[in-house]
Amino acid sequence: MKKINLSEFHDKNYKKLLLIPLILFLISISYIFIFYSQNGDFIYKDISLTGGTAVTIYGSFDIDKLYTDLSQELPELNIRSIYDLITQEQKAVIIETTLDGKSAKERLQSYLNYELTEDNSSLEFTGSVLSDSFYQQLILAIFVAFLFMAIVVFIIFRTFVPSLAVIISAFADILMTLAVVDILGIKMSSAGIVAFLMLIGYSVDTDILLTTRILKRNEGSLNHRIFGAFKTGITMTLTSLFAILFALIIVSSFSIVLTQIFTILVIGLGFDLFNTWITNVSILKWYVEGKK
Amino acid sequence: MKFTWKIWLLIVIVLFSFISIFNFSAFFNQGVLITSIDSNSTAFEQGLRQGQIITQIDSNTIKTIEDFSSALKNKYLSGEKVKIIISTTDSEYVLFTNSPPQITVTNIPKTSIKMGLDLVGGSRALIKAEGKDLSVDEINDLVEITSNRLNEFGLTDLKVLPVSDLSGNHFMLVEIAGATPKDLEEVLSKQGKFEAKIGNETVFIGGKEKDIASVCRGDATCAGIESCQESGAGYYCNFRFSIYLSEEAANRQAQITDTLDVSLNNSEYLSKKLDLYLDDKLVDSLFIGVGLKGSATTQIAISGSGTGETRDDAITDTEYSMHKLQTILITGSLPYKLEIVKLDTISPLLGKEFINTIFLASFAALFAVALIIFIRYRNFKSSIALLITSFSEIIIILGIASFIEWNIDLPSIAGILATIGTGIDDLIVIMDESIQSSMISLKQKLKRAFAIILGAYFTTLVSLFPLLWAGAGLLKGFAITTIIGITTGVLITRPAFADIIKQI
Repeated sequence: MKKINLSEFHDKNYKKLLLIPLILFLISISYIFIFYSQNGDFIYKDISLTGGTAVTIYGSFDIDKLYTDLSQELPELNIRSIYDLITQEQKAVIIETTLDGKSAKERLQSYLNYELTEDNSSLEFTGSVLSDSFYQQLILAIFVAFLFMAIVVFIIFRTFVPSLAVIISAFADILMTLAVVDILGIKMSSAGIVAFLMLIGYSVDTDILLTTRILKRNEGSLNHRIFGAFKTGITMTLTSLFAILFALIIVSSFSIVLTQIFTILVIGLGFDLFNTWITNVSILKWYVEGKK
Repeated sequence: MKFTWKIWLLIVIVLFSFISIFNFSAFFNQGVLITSIDSNSTAFEQGLRQGQIITQIDSNTIKTIEDFSSALKNKYLSGEKVKIIISTTDSEYVLFTNSPPQITVTNIPKTSIKMGLDLVGGSRALIKAEGKDLSVDEINDLVEITSNRLNEFGLTDLKVLPVSDLSGNHFMLVEIAGATPKDLEEVLSKQGKFEAKIGNETVFIGGKEKDIASVCRGDATCAGIESCQESGAGYYCNFRFSIYLSEEAANRQAQITDTLDVSLNNSEYLSKKLDLYLDDKLVDSLFIGVGLKGSATTQIAISGSGTGETRDDAITDTEYSMHKLQTILITGSLPYKLEIVKLDTISPLLGKEFINTIFLASFAALFAVALIIFIRYRNFKSSIALLITSFSEIIIILGIASFIEWNIDLPSIAGILATIGTGIDDLIVIMDESIQSSMISLKQKLKRAFAIILGAYFTTLVSLFPLLWAGAGLLKGFAITTIIGITTGVLITRPAFADIIKQI
């Protein structure tokens, strides 16, 4: 009984449902636009994209004290710590600054009063020449990847509206995720941009499943096919989402790179549930109903 | 259960992956592996090399690093020369020294998986010319010079290669595994001053645009191996090639050689040699023919030699020496300053914990997947089949990565995770298509499943291509592992899973 009601509800309201993603889409796009006009860029960049140095020093430190003592010495200072997941014991601190590797190391050494060697620290330096071109190229890579994906989608379905619906959902995933990443104030690294690339792959999977089931099958009613696809698709996205969420909990104390990738994927997969099963379904249903 | 050829293929490939991943000799051999050895040490002279496995020192059996250090402890306290017998798996070496052998060792690794520098420690540098775009030829010369220099420096476990990015910039990538030399930055950014001196006087300095007009290379009429002879236990060959000096340099040489006498030892040569210095370090000394005394000749024949156990070895060695010298003369002093645009030195300290964390995270992820799969299907057999298939994909990726000696770095791990995610998605598609209650045959249903899977495969595949080149390839690992993973998935594991599902 319940299923029929849901089906009737959906038949009546699926066009209106499209308003929700549309509003969210507009909010995201305006937020990103405002963000861009204030910051001169689409994201906050970490030192792997702006240039600078990250020094990891092993041992236990008082972060607040480090911050007060070093903020004069090291420009754009940012300090984070790495913990052992179980004992919660502090393993190391990661000190980030826009200074070059050599000077950052020298200043830290004179503050700590001991030499930083590979037995007690790691140092990663990225020059701004490299990071600038790095950033531009990764953005280019995302665009090209998206374009290639769109071309393949058109080749697979060979119909305009359904293909466009897949592409719109994937684009909405990326855009909404980007807005949330900005709202959370996440400083994006080069690995974070790769996460967006992963998101393209994940988000298109369920859209292709949905579109294939609806357009290339003829058994059962339209709603029946949508519901079948929904059951499969939701299992797909939920397994990915929970797998990543569990992994995120474990790496969050330890790896900043993986934490960022997983956080972006969790946000993105959340939006993918929304965009596949509201945005894409509604556009497709509209298209199929309209053709009758 | 009937084993179809697709299932057999999966089993065979998983077995091959296991063979590729695990270093089975480690299970039979006991001892410690030599990871580095000082090339100036007695141990090196006696024939001990990196990669050998030490099984015994004197009468002590060596099984672990602790055995190794306790066997050496207390032995050299007196400061006097003592005898030590080091046995490896295939030979025995007797050393007679007053200090411990300059060897670092590790336990024999159980797997052949190579971990990236960002996981196990090491250093990596990306270098470009300051304010100048280098051509492909220039970057290749730079790579050769830098490799030579680092080898001179005693670093052996290293990779120096040219890389380029999407905007057509060329860089030199240097990767050094393990211990990082303290002054690496200085060694790398050195411009490479080349000088040829007679006594204390500079005759000419390197670099094509300065005193040397050109260097003959790859032209048999003015460069090549002249003669090879048998000598003692091996062979010995001579090479000779011409360089052309600028007029100014030729005149300078004439003035200097004019003051020299004929050598007392060999009347064919002058009393002093032409010494070649790179960054103030003597790299070669050349005899100057008597005929050159006082003449402002622009063409100079530079000669040298190489040796080897066989004639072929001697020729190879001679060619190498000639090439090295030509490289130094052509590009010895780089006509540009170098700029280190990226320098990472990663401590090996947290490597092990890092890898453990990743294993833990993978198990947590797999557990989450298992949980949802059981809740959704409530079918033990097919859920287990799904998990095993997914696990086999990880094994195959690691197997192929070990086989092609791909270093698993952090981006590669992200790639493996991406593959598992899409892999499980595909397996769910197969499961759901097969249990659909429509009228068509199971075979038809699975065919439909693969229509969806291939669509998803191609969209992911094409979206990875740009990453192979973007950002000087530093994130290439992500694209490589994902491409390996999804391709073997679509070709091998997922079809096998479809055959398994048919039967349960």
